[in-house]
Amino acid sequence: MERDKHLPLTETVYYILLALVEPAHGYLIMQKVEELSGGQVRMAAGTLYGAIENLVKLKFIQPAASEDSRRKVYAITNKGLDMLRLDLERMKHMIDVTTDRLK
Amino acid sequence: MKKYKFFINFDKEEKWLNDMARQGYLFTKKTLFGYVFEPHKPENAIIKLDYRIFKRRGDFEDYCALFEDSGWEHIAGTKSSGYQYFKKANNQGSEDIFSDVDSKAGRYKRLSDMWAVLVCCFTPVMSAIISSDVMDLGVLRDPKTLYQTPGLWELNGGAFWSAFLFETPFALFRGLLWAFIPAIILIYLYFLYCANKQYKKTQEDRISRK
Repeated sequence: MERDKHLPLTETVYYILLALVEPAHGYLIMQKVEELSGGQVRMAAGTLYGAIENLVKLKFIQPAASEDSRRKVYAITNKGLDMLRLDLERMKHMIDVTTDRLK
Repeated sequence: MKKYKFFINFDKEEKWLNDMARQGYLFTKKTLFGYVFEPHKPENAIIKLDYRIFKRRGDFEDYCALFEDSGWEHIAGTKSSGYQYFKKANNQGSEDIFSDVDSKAGRYKRLSDMWAVLVCCFTPVMSAIISSDVMDLGVLRDPKTLYQTPGLWELNGGAFWSAFLFETPFALFRGLLWAFIPAIILIYLYFLYCANKQYKKTQEDRISRK
């Protein structure tokens, strides 16, 4: 099977998608990405905004209902979830094969 | 205080605004060609620039909210101004509004796209000028035809000069109005070239840093 052209996901895209398994607005995404990555991935506002815009264009995430009039809330789409799972499989394979060979 | 200046390089513009803040002038507003400053206590401000045009009001609000939440005050810029100025509001958070090279270069890409759109908008006007007879290159060979004062070229001395100088601005306007459009296109093409060059240069930083 041919691999989807969006794979592998970049580290930032991966964590953003993972964060959006629960709907969140921009700043909350920033905090969740930092938390999920154990403080390794810190995104600045301009970079995150561009990444969100791009992921909406790719239909990996979409705007969700928001109670805050200023802040948009985003959530992962089914397509985004598929991507996340495919990338997880890819990494699982890498881990398995690496563990075997380094034994 | 108002200063007139024009930048085609975001990094130089940021540096200049930060230097002004260090001298006690805080940038508060941008007009078409000028920057408005207010006296302020000198500080090591960090002012950063993004370039984005928004289609919807809500997108612009969301964008500003994200920056404010992460410690950047939006000091100048509107929904469709493109140029968006931010000042670091506190000691928390990042030192820059971009955390990777691609997004830092991306603002130059958006700027160069905007110049490209402007060039495209003016190109039909240019072809209209070429296909009509407004552009009369003959006047460059015989500029005298631009002057319409009866008997001007038969006048002598002071009378000639005063009539001549009086009509010159009108003559230039009549004869060279068409030249305005190609001049604008050339200027935009130059800006487009600069923005593109800066885009590539910023992206190359990644390679040299590695």
